[in-house]
Amino acid sequence: MRAYWKKSLGALTMLALMSTASLAAEVKTIAILAPEQGNDYGWNQQGIDAAKAAGEKAGVKVLVAEGLGYGDVRPTLRELAGEGANLLIAHASGYNTAAPEIGAELNVPVAIVDMPNAIKAGKVADYTLSGHEGAYLAGRLAAKMSRSGSVGIVVSGEPPSWNSQSAAFAQGAKAEKDGIKILYAVIGPAAYADAAGGKRVTEAVIAAGADIIFGQGNGSSFGMLQAVETTKAGDGGKVYFIDVIGDKSPINKGFLLSSVLWNLVPVYDAMIADLKADKFGTKNYTIGLADDSVKLLKTAEIPDGVWGEIEAVRADVVSGKIKVEPVWDAAKLHELVTALK
Amino acid sequence: MEALLTTAFLTALVTGAVTAGIPLLLAGLGEQMSEKAGVLNVGIEGMMLAGAFAGFFAAYMSESIALGFLAGALGGFGVALLMALLCVRLGLNQIVIGIGLTLGFEGITALLHYNLFGRSYPRLPAVETLRIPGLADIPVLGPAFFDRPLIVYVAVLLVFVVSFVYRRTNLGLYLQAAGDKPAALDVTGIDVVRIRTFAVLTAGTLAGLGGAFLSEVGAGLFVPFMTNGAGFIGIVLAMLARGRPFWVLAGAAIFGACLSLTTALQVAGVNVPTDVIQMIPFAAVMAVLIIFGRNAHLPAALGIPYVRGAR
Repeated sequence: MRAYWKKSLGALTMLALMSTASLAAEVKTIAILAPEQGNDYGWNQQGIDAAKAAGEKAGVKVLVAEGLGYGDVRPTLRELAGEGANLLIAHASGYNTAAPEIGAELNVPVAIVDMPNAIKAGKVADYTLSGHEGAYLAGRLAAKMSRSGSVGIVVSGEPPSWNSQSAAFAQGAKAEKDGIKILYAVIGPAAYADAAGGKRVTEAVIAAGADIIFGQGNGSSFGMLQAVETTKAGDGGKVYFIDVIGDKSPINKGFLLSSVLWNLVPVYDAMIADLKADKFGTKNYTIGLADDSVKLLKTAEIPDGVWGEIEAVRADVVSGKIKVEPVWDAAKLHELVTALK
Repeated sequence: MEALLTTAFLTALVTGAVTAGIPLLLAGLGEQMSEKAGVLNVGIEGMMLAGAFAGFFAAYMSESIALGFLAGALGGFGVALLMALLCVRLGLNQIVIGIGLTLGFEGITALLHYNLFGRSYPRLPAVETLRIPGLADIPVLGPAFFDRPLIVYVAVLLVFVVSFVYRRTNLGLYLQAAGDKPAALDVTGIDVVRIRTFAVLTAGTLAGLGGAFLSEVGAGLFVPFMTNGAGFIGIVLAMLARGRPFWVLAGAAIFGACLSLTTALQVAGVNVPTDVIQMIPFAAVMAVLIIFGRNAHLPAALGIPYVRGAR
């Protein structure tokens, strides 16, 4: 009898181990879809580069479909799934209807952005990221460096990630200098590639008194950069630009003050690991100052003394002494910016 | 709110309105001529993109803004040649070909940009302006209207020229007939296909100029998809203006002014949803043109290929 129980227990243990092994998904290939080319020193480049890096670390093949625009990506999603992708990363908020639909149709897990409540175990993960802690530091920096006492926020849309960064920037600027004026303007509905609009709106915000522009815009951010390069501040001096997500230093002509840098490698690392461990779609992914997945770029335009003060604020945010809560909603952002005026 | 009352801010707003309106004016005038002759040119967006890239490329390489505009016009002309060949000569579906050209040139220009400027993102210096003495000194309006690049004056002048052509010349009559009663034009011995080809090529040239304006003056650089639907807004302006060049000018001016108004409202901190504010330009243009332009008409043969003898 004892031998029977021993055998049974052994068989059960083997069965349990085998079933765990069979549940763990095999990940050989992942795919990322991006609306613009991966050379924008911003959202698209960071996403594609990070997917490649995470794939290399995990020994996984990475398929890249870039420059897809903001239209219907269903055919591309089907094609990538057909090529064997075990995970489809839909790297644009405009894809978060099509991707879950095709994922369900073809039984391929998908990762989307800007829909934190859409997660579904084993099927849909969301990585609505926010560099709000970094944006808070950027706001503190802008307030320290502004000569006019006015700073501008120019955005090419109001996705949740950018709202939280805009809000944190405004809060940071206000925390640094109570009397600072914050001018907020949106270029247009989903004007991500509208470089001319970016330049036009930024010029208007500069004319209203801002001498530091915090810009979030994908392709349109190059228009913002062009505006700060060709427009003088009210006092005749330089206007500075603070960018987000990527590092435009290689094309900087001396007007880039800083950038809230995002590193998406840990996010995709975690996604692949979760997929392998059958935990995909059970949590939201985040980035922050603590693990350096969000950083503020140090440029030559920032005096060492000011940078030292910013580093001290960073330490306070990481330690929890200063709390920066994300504000995802556009209406709440407007209320906040209006209240801070 | 006090930020709104400074001369610098008001000047920036009015200047921005003019800058935003000019590409729409050029695209709208071109589309209007094409439609007048019976060709629904949905490829205007692609023609603008081709013009934007060609204009930027030429201006950057030659360091000449004028050459940039010439190249931009040629870029739009080149795409229009395809449209003329496929839709006017071969009689293929104008909407399908137009959409195809737009999507195709979105891809081609993005690819060219990726290969040529994808890592450097070069920017052009500010474009030189032509100052009209006296008028340019008027506060706010002077710098916005009378201290602008030459192409701005040319674009406005074109409205008068096109209007004159439509009202006072045989060519205007031929264009009208090609769109309304192409068979009647044919029996008078005028080649309908030739007239329609001329209209489409002119539309492409003007759209290309509009695109070059966007990249050289509007943004000072090229990025993929940068027209951001300007060509389609041009089509809407042309359809709502229904054959009247001055209504295209009015539509473009209203649209540009409302874009600046949206910026002003946001900078002033008016706390209403951004979507509502940004609806203003589209709503205003449609309201004005529907109210005042409703008596005009669209050509009877718009979108229908002309085949001699076909019933």
